[in-house]
Amino acid sequence: MHRSNFKGSVIQIPDETALPRGWAVRSLWARNLLTFLMVFGPGLIVMEADNDAGAVSTYVQAGAQYGTHLLWILLVLLPMTYFVQEMVVRLGIATGQGHAAMIYQRFGSWWGRFSLFDLLLINFLTLVTEFAAIALALDKLGVNPRAGVPLSAVALMFLVGTGSYRRWERTVVALCLLDIGWIAIAVFIRTPAGEIIRNSIVPSVPEGGVTASLVFLVIAIVGTTIAPWQLFFQQSCVADKRLRFSDLNWARLDTLIGAIFTIVVAGCMMVVGSASKIHGIAFLDPAQMAVALRPFAGVGVQGAILLLMLNAAVLGTTAISLSSAWAYGEVRGWPHSLELPLHDAPGFYSVYFVCVAVAAAIVLIPRAPLQLIILSVQVLAGVMLPSAIIFLQLLLNDRVLLGDEFTNQNWNNWINWTIIIVFFVLSLILAVQVVAPKLLGQGG
Amino acid sequence: MTFLNAATNTNAYVVVHPLDDLVEEKRDPSCLGPMPMTLTVRLSLFTLRAYLILMTVLVAYHVVDLAGLLNVHKG
Repeated sequence: MHRSNFKGSVIQIPDETALPRGWAVRSLWARNLLTFLMVFGPGLIVMEADNDAGAVSTYVQAGAQYGTHLLWILLVLLPMTYFVQEMVVRLGIATGQGHAAMIYQRFGSWWGRFSLFDLLLINFLTLVTEFAAIALALDKLGVNPRAGVPLSAVALMFLVGTGSYRRWERTVVALCLLDIGWIAIAVFIRTPAGEIIRNSIVPSVPEGGVTASLVFLVIAIVGTTIAPWQLFFQQSCVADKRLRFSDLNWARLDTLIGAIFTIVVAGCMMVVGSASKIHGIAFLDPAQMAVALRPFAGVGVQGAILLLMLNAAVLGTTAISLSSAWAYGEVRGWPHSLELPLHDAPGFYSVYFVCVAVAAAIVLIPRAPLQLIILSVQVLAGVMLPSAIIFLQLLLNDRVLLGDEFTNQNWNNWINWTIIIVFFVLSLILAVQVVAPKLLGQGG
Repeated sequence: MTFLNAATNTNAYVVVHPLDDLVEEKRDPSCLGPMPMTLTVRLSLFTLRAYLILMTVLVAYHVVDLAGLLNVHKG
């Protein structure tokens, strides 16, 4: 019946019926591994893309100011980030729809428009900061940003425009894994392992005690580790990949691995930043830090940090732009899938392309108000994150929609409401600090 | 490892990529309408509205402050 093409040990059989084709394996162990590898992707991408340009800046700054003393905060954030994204996975698998569409359908058009507008605005402003980081890194690498930034934008457009979800996912997973470079650099600069382990496990307050700048840096780390676009991105990504009910546990494992990998990489960024504290280096951005570390760590470390900074910005850009394009496409009812060719989903791809192109163009404008943009991102994140998480929590308690199988258990709710209250308070403090520093005695 | 049709009669396990599999029927919210306003939902949305109003007031304060209308800027 079947004609077979042998390629090594693999027999490829042409699709002669409408039934799905798959890989046949003989052991349960191999089946589980293969299923996991097929499901793997969205969890790692959403987590690692959050280690974007802004995150690199925050973590190395934390290392430069306080050495490895704040590593334990990352360990505290690990379960928080996992629990939030696990809810997103459940919702995405249960409904096969994105987060923006769900808010529209279950909370009405006012909350839907509010969430969408806020998401698009904060995402766009964040994109500008990603391209600003690309320009900085390229400049220090000896590439003229006027040529390099538009080229990066074109490459980012090409990345999604191939009409294949799998091609996009494989490329982005490979980019995520490049972040292992941060671990290599952290090992290379030889910060004592005992100190790193101790400061990761035992909560400690840096020398100088609890100051306002320490509190706000901690809040910035929390805000950097869990961002609003992640909720929208992963749910849309899970829906686009058409993950099945039976994939839920594998998708959870993907998310857990992504969370652990991301926290480890973030910790390594902090360790790298701590090297500048040891050598008494002051810097304004990670690119400056990379150059200043050269006499102590070598030209290889300088180049690696700059390339990893570039990689972080590229990862952040593709994930954030896609979360905007998916959300807008869902709400407008447009075709919105990376599996579709450009001509079948023109609106979806246009949103992505326009976001990338305009953000790249803004960075090339001389004296663009980048500081104002960074400040706006912080304020908008303070508005967006608590509201997005509240909608997520309410949707996960929607028994009419999800049934008992996917609805939150009581213990889920206790954990999630605690996380929501913590985020509300931290977001409010950060927003007050940014918008009205005098109220907290920070102004002058 | 062999690439097979899922219906092929074999003793092996057949693993299908989600994108190659038959489309599952998901839980569809489109026929349900808006979420019922239980006490938790009502309370959550009220808290959210209050939070957003507070944030708007803060931004307005900042704008007024930057414009120098509060007369508290030094230098």
